[in-house]
Amino acid sequence: MAERETKELATREEQAPAVRRERPMIPPVDIYETDDGLILVADMPGVTKESVEVKIEENVLQMRGEITDLPGEDVQPLYAELRGNEYFRAFTIGPEFDLDKVEASMEAGVLRIYLPKLEAEKPKKIEIKVA
Amino acid sequence: MPIGWGVDFFDPFREFERLQEEVNRLLEMTSPFVPVRTVARATFPVINIGETNDAVYVYLFAPGVEPDKLDLSIEGNILSISGERDATKALKVEKVDPNRFYRQERFSGRFTRAVSLPESIDANQVEATYQNGIIKVRIGKREEKKARKIEVKAS
Repeated sequence: MAERETKELATREEQAPAVRRERPMIPPVDIYETDDGLILVADMPGVTKESVEVKIEENVLQMRGEITDLPGEDVQPLYAELRGNEYFRAFTIGPEFDLDKVEASMEAGVLRIYLPKLEAEKPKKIEIKVA
Repeated sequence: MPIGWGVDFFDPFREFERLQEEVNRLLEMTSPFVPVRTVARATFPVINIGETNDAVYVYLFAPGVEPDKLDLSIEGNILSISGERDATKALKVEKVDPNRFYRQERFSGRFTRAVSLPESIDANQVEATYQNGIIKVRIGKREEKKARKIEVKAS
């Protein structure tokens, strides 16, 4: 829990990459709904809370993460199932979420994003009155 | 030469994945949640192996795995990995209702994998560290198998 952190979700200007970048890897994602909101979990091994970026542009939630601790130049690759050093994935989100209150945290290479529902969108309990 | 995981060579499977992702994005535009499994359930954990002059390094990409739920062992030159990951733990919800998933792509459950390592390794010199979801196993090479630099003498 020590690594929990709320990320700034302010939009940033996309920086033009200085070098040609390899296409990012696609992290596997779980999406789960609760009464209060939506939880999105993405596996991004090697990414730290400093190297992850979560942003919402228009109605698209984007997550990007970079593997920070790459092996040194003296390490010769023998076998590689994972190729690349960046992850990226984006999801279109519906209008029922409060985008000002989105929270993101990174722990052991797992990114968790919480999108709370707008108050009006939460399920309401309907009481049944006995006549 | 760029350092990293050999990102600079063409991989047709990645191209295919890319195409699949594009299609998914199109589907997502029409409906925010498409309840289909869109990324093939991959092997877990994903493994990379590298070597230096005096050691072999095995990288296990095991995000969200608790180190005490992972077993590593070496027999001969075979490294075995087994363990368990409960993917739902990362949701941090008290009670997980399986019907409330829109997508479930992350690996969950028990896993076992075995990889064969170069003959030169010394199974007595193993150390493993876990950081940011990557387990890095360093296995030293036997003294007599270490690469030697051969000097070319000018005659």
